[in-house]
Amino acid sequence: MPRSPRAEADRRRRWWPWLLLAPGLIWLIGLYVLPLLGLVPLSLSEPVSRFGLETVFRGRLANYTEVLQAYGPILVRSFGFALIATLLGLVLAYPLAFAIRFHGGRWQPLLVGLVVLPSLTSYLVRAIAFTSLLGDSGPVLNLVAGLGLTGWLDGLGVLRDGRLLNTPTAVILGLTNNLLPFLVLPLVVAMERIDPRLLEAADDLHAGPLRSFTQVVWPLSLPGLGAGILLSLIPAAGDVVNPKFLGGPNDRMIANSIENLLLVQLQAPRAAALTLVLMALITAAVLLQLRGRGVDDLPLP
Amino acid sequence: MTRTGGWLLGIWSALAYGLLYAPVAVTVLFSFNAPRGRFNLIWQGFTLENWRHPLRDQALTDAFLTSLGLSLAAALLAVLLGGLMALALSRARVRGGRSIELLLALPLTNPEIVMATALLNLFVGIDLPRGPLTLVLSHSLFCLSYAALTLKARLAGFDPTLELAAQDLGATPLAAFRRVTLPLLVPGLLAATLLSFSLSFDDYVISSFTAGETVTLPLYLAGAFQREISAQIQVLSTLVLVVSAVALLLASPRQDR
Amino acid sequence: MSMPVSPRGRRAFLRRLAGGAAGAVVMPSLLQACGRGPGGSATSGGGDRGGELVISSFPLYIDPGQPGAPGSVERFRKDTGINLRYVEDVNDVRQFFARIRPQLAAGQPLAQDLVVLTSWMAERLIRLGWVEPLPLAEVPNARHLIPSLRNPSWDPQQRYSLPWQTGIAGIAYNIKATGRELRSIDDLFDPKLKGRVSALLEMRDTMGLLMLADGKDISRPTWEAAQPSFDRLEKARRDGQIRRFTGNDYQNDLLAGNLAACIGWSGDVAQLALEQPDLRFLVPESGGVLWADLMLMPKGARHRQEAAQWMNWVYEPVEAARIAAAVQYISPVEGVREILAKDPATAALAANPLMFPDAATRQRLHIFGPLGDQEEARWEERFAEITEG
Repeated sequence: MPRSPRAEADRRRRWWPWLLLAPGLIWLIGLYVLPLLGLVPLSLSEPVSRFGLETVFRGRLANYTEVLQAYGPILVRSFGFALIATLLGLVLAYPLAFAIRFHGGRWQPLLVGLVVLPSLTSYLVRAIAFTSLLGDSGPVLNLVAGLGLTGWLDGLGVLRDGRLLNTPTAVILGLTNNLLPFLVLPLVVAMERIDPRLLEAADDLHAGPLRSFTQVVWPLSLPGLGAGILLSLIPAAGDVVNPKFLGGPNDRMIANSIENLLLVQLQAPRAAALTLVLMALITAAVLLQLRGRGVDDLPLP
Repeated sequence: MTRTGGWLLGIWSALAYGLLYAPVAVTVLFSFNAPRGRFNLIWQGFTLENWRHPLRDQALTDAFLTSLGLSLAAALLAVLLGGLMALALSRARVRGGRSIELLLALPLTNPEIVMATALLNLFVGIDLPRGPLTLVLSHSLFCLSYAALTLKARLAGFDPTLELAAQDLGATPLAAFRRVTLPLLVPGLLAATLLSFSLSFDDYVISSFTAGETVTLPLYLAGAFQREISAQIQVLSTLVLVVSAVALLLASPRQDR
Repeated sequence: MSMPVSPRGRRAFLRRLAGGAAGAVVMPSLLQACGRGPGGSATSGGGDRGGELVISSFPLYIDPGQPGAPGSVERFRKDTGINLRYVEDVNDVRQFFARIRPQLAAGQPLAQDLVVLTSWMAERLIRLGWVEPLPLAEVPNARHLIPSLRNPSWDPQQRYSLPWQTGIAGIAYNIKATGRELRSIDDLFDPKLKGRVSALLEMRDTMGLLMLADGKDISRPTWEAAQPSFDRLEKARRDGQIRRFTGNDYQNDLLAGNLAACIGWSGDVAQLALEQPDLRFLVPESGGVLWADLMLMPKGARHRQEAAQWMNWVYEPVEAARIAAAVQYISPVEGVREILAKDPATAALAANPLMFPDAATRQRLHIFGPLGDQEEARWEERFAEITEG
């Protein structure tokens, strides 16, 4: 029975999107979902020999308990560092975003571009540059000593015995440097939606700058804030380069541990277990954030 | 905004820019340093010598070109796959479209170490030797999410009536797409390609697990730090910085509202 | 980068951005076409590279070329016409092993035809059957190998390995930074040097030195004997006494002044002292660790002939002397001392006890004995706990 052209068009309309989606979905499923799922049986296995690649599935839940016991503190430390770096980043990013949005005028795109520009250089080169900047004979420590702040900062724990390199502070500075653009951008975008007349109104009503901020700017910038934190805190927690170059043996983060487990100790099952623990923590946070708002707020060009 | 408020804002912003540019400034500065020995990290004296021979470090240049080629391939692949997905997601009401979007967003928020471990396990499991192929596959994966979501956002802000108008004038849906939509999509495609390219070019963690013996620029730099830091590294980085800065300047529109 | 500009403005923006970016992509290729140096370049990537001999070794382990005075690699290429790719990518032996393990375990050949690795790793590779017997029939100069290194414990029949250099693990320090001469391992734990001290990730060197300071015998290392040293190291790490655990990369920190003293290797320090004369090397009173790095041929290597030519070339006493003069380690080749003594420029080196240990120095040098497989796993795990935090 000949189908009506309408029905034919309807049919075509229903499956052509899937044709377009298919290649990308194959990529995602084949290279992301399945390998991640493949980590699950690996994490419950044991290596057959010390140097061979084969593992045998044993349902070994003990891998998880061992790994949590050994690396739990490092997990906490990683998220702690990431949190501090994000907070420090926010402290720097908010005023900058505000200044760009409300005082940038016609230079606004240029100013935003200047925020992004450093991210176009290799972040390894930047980490190497930081080792020189923060070194014992470097300019930062010289400046601090010149200002007479060494003792005070030492007491606060910011410096360790007058050193800056290979301390938690250096790692956090490196992390903040990396994530700053990812905070400034969404904040600028979010503040775009704030009508400057609202601020004028607040000023007319004799609200001080702090009040203006807490009552006007902060609430209206929250959507951008959520997206920005998502894209900065989590990659920061999983950072490898900053702890490796700028940190000491007491400042290792979770990604270093996974790398060490996999590449130095050759313990693939344990590495898989630790990876999945990290993944679980992150997925929970991500789904919570994205469920609410969808992907529209992510700061993409 | 009060006078002191404006002052304070200015200083604070300068601090923020300062943090961002401190390592960059050091890099540029040291490209003019006369290195004494293997590590160009201690200031000795000003020289233009390094700039006269920017490609003296052969291994560095090789790594740079390798990265260039592989990242271009990965970016194009990601934009192709991602573009198709973006088209489907923005044009059609697909059942499960929301879940697909979430799936796309997940890699964005994973620390790279997670994907690196999973991918290495995959490649070892299917006995695929680590090299340029596995690199391009891995990079195109994490760029896919960025490309797809970027293009979807672009398409969302698109006026569908333009295509309908073309169809009213007699064009088939495909021709309308080709002649009307695609050209207008070009800036978006470029943005997605550039974003994917720069992400892939700078990738360290995933590359260190999946590159095998291939030496990309970040891998070279990580190894170089342990044996020597030639001034050419800073020269090359400064060059890249200058080119990017020029591109940004040229492209920075004078607010035409 | 979602900027609130009109669509037209945004399009123009991106067109110009694209133009700039295209320039960024094209420019390096242009630069390359304009300014390529001699020596050729091999494209990266695994697998066979045609007639190219690939060698992986530690950094600072061969005489580099100077303008006007080509190094060994360059001269070998010219002399034999063999296309040699010498890569200094062995920073930490265990990390290198992890890199080559997947392929060797799967029976696939590596990109390298020769690798230079420490003796304990060589022993492991030999035991696993992942190395080829060396084509020693084509290396007549191997007869110049010094007697004390013949038929060693790690390769009793001398079939799989040929020593590259041997050396000493001891204390490297900057005399200005420490303010005094150091005498023993205990100086590393001096509170005055807190946070400016480092130890090696090479477990046998670090633990060997600590155990010797503890009065233990490292030629037969036992788990129990190692405990006090493990504890001492762990405490130092927790307290912040130790700034970092390093591979070869202690050099940069020594030069930059971030380290006052560290565990390091004799030849490295001798070379660095040329740049920074305040650097000293100390074999502690309690003893130093003597180690050997060996040339090995991974299984499936494709350029056996060329590798044999390389080994023969570097065992030629004149060439060995040139390499020794540059790296200042203990050469495994006989006759090097006499050659160095003849030349006034290198005569001082011939008398250097770190390069040619006399009886007194030999008394204080010890080789770290073998660890069984399970033992090693235990040691490595404990050591990893300490170094990884």
